[in-house]
Amino acid sequence: MTFVIRMALREIRASWKRLLFFFVCIAIGVGSIVALRSVIQSVRVALARESRSLMAADLLVTSNRPFSQAVTDRITSEQRAGRITERSNAIETSTMVRPVDPAKPGARMVELRAVEAAFPFYGTMTLQEGTYAHSMVEGHGALVRPELLAQLNLSIGDSIQIGNQPFQIRGVISSEPGRRLGAFSLGSRIIIDYADLPSTGLLGFGSRGTMQILLKVPGPELDQVSDELRDSFANEFVGVRSYRRSEDQIGENLTRAENYLSLVGLVVLILGGIGVSSVTRVFVQQKIRSIAILKCVGATSSRVLAVYMGQILLLGLAGSVLGVVLAGTVLAAVPSFVGDLTAMFQVDYGLTVPAVVQGLGVGVLVSVLFSVVPLLEVRLVKPSLLLRQDIPPAPKFDWLKWTVTLGVAAALVGIASWQAGSVRVGLMLSGGFVATAFVLQLAGAALVRAVQPLRYSSSFALRQAVLHIARPGNQTRVILLAVGLGTFFILGVRSLQANLLRDFAVQAGENAPDMFLIDIQTDQREALAAFVAAQTQKAAPRLIPVLRARVVGVEGRQVELESYEQVRGRGGMGREFTVTYRPQLEANESIIAGKWWDADSTSGEAEVSIEDGFLDRMQIQVGDRMRFDVLGRVVTARVASIRRVDWQDFRAGGFMFVFKPGTFDGAPQTFISTLQGPADAAARARLQAGLVSRFPNVSVIDLREVLQTIQGVVRNVSTAVTVVGALVLLSGVLILVGAVSMTKFRRVYEAAILKTLGATGRLIATMLVLEYGVLGAIAGTVGALGAIALSWGVARYALELPWDPAPEITIVGILATTILVAAVGVLASLDVLRNKPLSTLRAE
Amino acid sequence: MIELRGVSKTVMSGAQPLTILHPLDFTIASGQCIAIVGPSGSGKSTLLGLLAGLDAPSTGTILVDGVDITKLAEDDLARLRGEKIGFVFQFFHLVPSLTALENILVPMEIAGRRDAGARGKQLLSEVGLADRGHHYPSQLSGGEQQRVAIARALANDPPILLADEPTGNLDSATGRVILDLLLGVHRTRRSTLILVTHDRELADMADYRLTLRDGRAVEPVVEVGQ
Repeated sequence: MTFVIRMALREIRASWKRLLFFFVCIAIGVGSIVALRSVIQSVRVALARESRSLMAADLLVTSNRPFSQAVTDRITSEQRAGRITERSNAIETSTMVRPVDPAKPGARMVELRAVEAAFPFYGTMTLQEGTYAHSMVEGHGALVRPELLAQLNLSIGDSIQIGNQPFQIRGVISSEPGRRLGAFSLGSRIIIDYADLPSTGLLGFGSRGTMQILLKVPGPELDQVSDELRDSFANEFVGVRSYRRSEDQIGENLTRAENYLSLVGLVVLILGGIGVSSVTRVFVQQKIRSIAILKCVGATSSRVLAVYMGQILLLGLAGSVLGVVLAGTVLAAVPSFVGDLTAMFQVDYGLTVPAVVQGLGVGVLVSVLFSVVPLLEVRLVKPSLLLRQDIPPAPKFDWLKWTVTLGVAAALVGIASWQAGSVRVGLMLSGGFVATAFVLQLAGAALVRAVQPLRYSSSFALRQAVLHIARPGNQTRVILLAVGLGTFFILGVRSLQANLLRDFAVQAGENAPDMFLIDIQTDQREALAAFVAAQTQKAAPRLIPVLRARVVGVEGRQVELESYEQVRGRGGMGREFTVTYRPQLEANESIIAGKWWDADSTSGEAEVSIEDGFLDRMQIQVGDRMRFDVLGRVVTARVASIRRVDWQDFRAGGFMFVFKPGTFDGAPQTFISTLQGPADAAARARLQAGLVSRFPNVSVIDLREVLQTIQGVVRNVSTAVTVVGALVLLSGVLILVGAVSMTKFRRVYEAAILKTLGATGRLIATMLVLEYGVLGAIAGTVGALGAIALSWGVARYALELPWDPAPEITIVGILATTILVAAVGVLASLDVLRNKPLSTLRAE
Repeated sequence: MIELRGVSKTVMSGAQPLTILHPLDFTIASGQCIAIVGPSGSGKSTLLGLLAGLDAPSTGTILVDGVDITKLAEDDLARLRGEKIGFVFQFFHLVPSLTALENILVPMEIAGRRDAGARGKQLLSEVGLADRGHHYPSQLSGGEQQRVAIARALANDPPILLADEPTGNLDSATGRVILDLLLGVHRTRRSTLILVTHDRELADMADYRLTLRDGRAVEPVVEVGQ
């Protein structure tokens, strides 16, 4: 044992420099895993601590219609039974606010929450001025977020108009309980008193408010109460959420996010592992003589194997520890990056024990697993080679090697499954990786072959460069794989981003509408159209009637759903739809089955035209009858036609269900409108402020702001993926440097011979530049081809966008990869240029 | 005691069998010094390799202290070498990544000897390199490397010492020093010394001589000087 440990340490002393780069790869992979897992685990710890205050209650009952008597009665009876100890009402709605002071222009959409005195049951709302008390909002007071003050140039004490009522700003919210983590919002939060809400007039018909009842269920029967209420309210369009359930839900999502994100680290780690594997193969070849000597002086094969396994184990452990250190450094910087995300509760970011243990475990395992097969060659080294250099007999089929290889493959799939937290994902990742590697290898081999004719080039340097690339043991494959994969990630996401942003730009282009008006009341139609026409000096905008409806039954040939309960069982169809009616087909629609109704037909049987997705997913066909619940009134309509809708073009709005005019005569409805606002920002602000002051219930969604938000999100996502790609590319570069330093002795020797034969330093430098340049160009091309395929596939099938090859990204990507690989290759080979031939040849 | 019975070696040279060593019988008693001589390609090194168990003969048996080493597995041969046989090569064959002292320590560490450190230093000074222990092979001259190799061969105090042209790669003065060292060891430790050489003068210093030509013994083992 002492022999094994001592020899392993001595071997590390001699060869750590050559193996360093591969273990830095391991470090980067381990670092990514540990950092990602630690961040998410830290969030989870904080979440578990504060989950009740995140919801502000034990149970939350929500609906976007006023609660029925049955619902409130049921809650009251539970309260009498003592299972519910407290209840409190709240309403959330989005609306517009503007400064009351006419000198301050502008208006903003906000998310209003009206709360009662008992709010919140759990957690505290912190204000910049101290702690919240309900008395602060009583009598038309409002609490706002700091961004609203900045956007509307307001300060505490100023008044803002909400609906028909001015409110005084009495405080600035810094953190608020009951805000859902990661929920999308159209505006910043405002808190007012529940009692003041009716005076705003916002609760009138057409409001998009969410009614909430917060419940306190302190006893152990929380889950039971929650399940019972959920069951009995299921067909009342009422949702019931328990803090514990939502903690579980978020917890599950976080676990999934943690597992999936850390797979990124695993991919980097496996690339490092492939590097380790190929470097071990070269390493064993270089050590053959030493191995023979050890065997000659009495070491058995298993002990020699143990020496080199020990060496890899120690280096793998060192790389993994370095990875943990890297992760710790990154975590120290995390709070400044994600401060906003978790503003509502305190997270202490730090390395977590499970993350560190997993990182170290995976790092060491991957190092060992990837080196064990090449190390098995140690067994086959015969000590007799010290006496004469004979040709070893053709190797027989090596059962042990193949058995071990299979075992290693199974173990790697196991690690992937362990890290993904799912065997299916583990298998998919392994399969995907093998397939990608295979395709990259194939493409790489094809390109290496494609440049082979250059062997006959008249340029000596180019001939040599091409010969070197095809030379065995040159690590060409590994470099192509790692660099190609990195390029693939970066270029793929960049060209997707370009496609996405270009598509948004087209949508927000010259003649496209860029403002949405919603919640227009029937009696406001004419005044509003006239006002907008006057302000924009364009034709009056079109107003589209909208109603909200739920599907509560289908009588069809293929599908028969009798109740809302059954409809809910069909994923996606149970939600609330915004529907409209009109006599004509829009330009972005086409009929694929059935017939559109006559333009002037308003009587007869109610008819509906459905989007073709319902045919594909639900097998609903022309002639089937569907029942809709529209604000409590049930309407049965015959499916008259099936439409295909071009969702890109939303000028006329996109609707899943369009009804024949007359269906909703007399039913309460609101109108929406799309219009192209002024290009000038000040004029837009004036238009919005004017609209809000005249029509306080009407909300204006400025598409330009929404697009900016979306572009921001796209940019963040693509930055994140680019970071991943950069990590992969970095490991590619490290593998390149490692491969160069591993085989440098041979280069130095060859260069010495060439120098002796009259080659100048310049010629040798040109050879190196060409060799690594060609290698980089091949890797870049492989990655770019993959990226083109990826962005085409995702754009075409997942995002359904028109696809543009983004040639500038491809060209820049290939050039950059070529230059990067050439520069790194040459810099890593400086010794080849520097060494004097005589000393080199003597040393050989 | 080493006994060879009908030991031969045939290898495949392309598709053709090539006999490097024709069946050979002889016995070497403990404590003897025997020189194996003959021109290049006569099978000297092959024979030495077979004696050390570095390679297996095609036919015949080799008994080392009564044990038939041709029946031993690879790992058992390694243990046997560690215990009983010291080997000195023409090209020294030191592990380049280890210092001179560490090269000497390796066989003792493999055998698990506790006194390895002290004995390693003692061996180094016996071969006259007490102050060069921390040098790597590449920092030593050929003669110095061969002295380290001899110290390594002696590390576990093996009863049998095999040397394959130990002076073949050295200038004559240095070769002389190495030779004196080997013979000195043979005399003081009473170990069996088997030398492969084509140096006539060296062969004359041995007790016995075996001459090979084209893989055959030209004459039976003869006592030198008779």
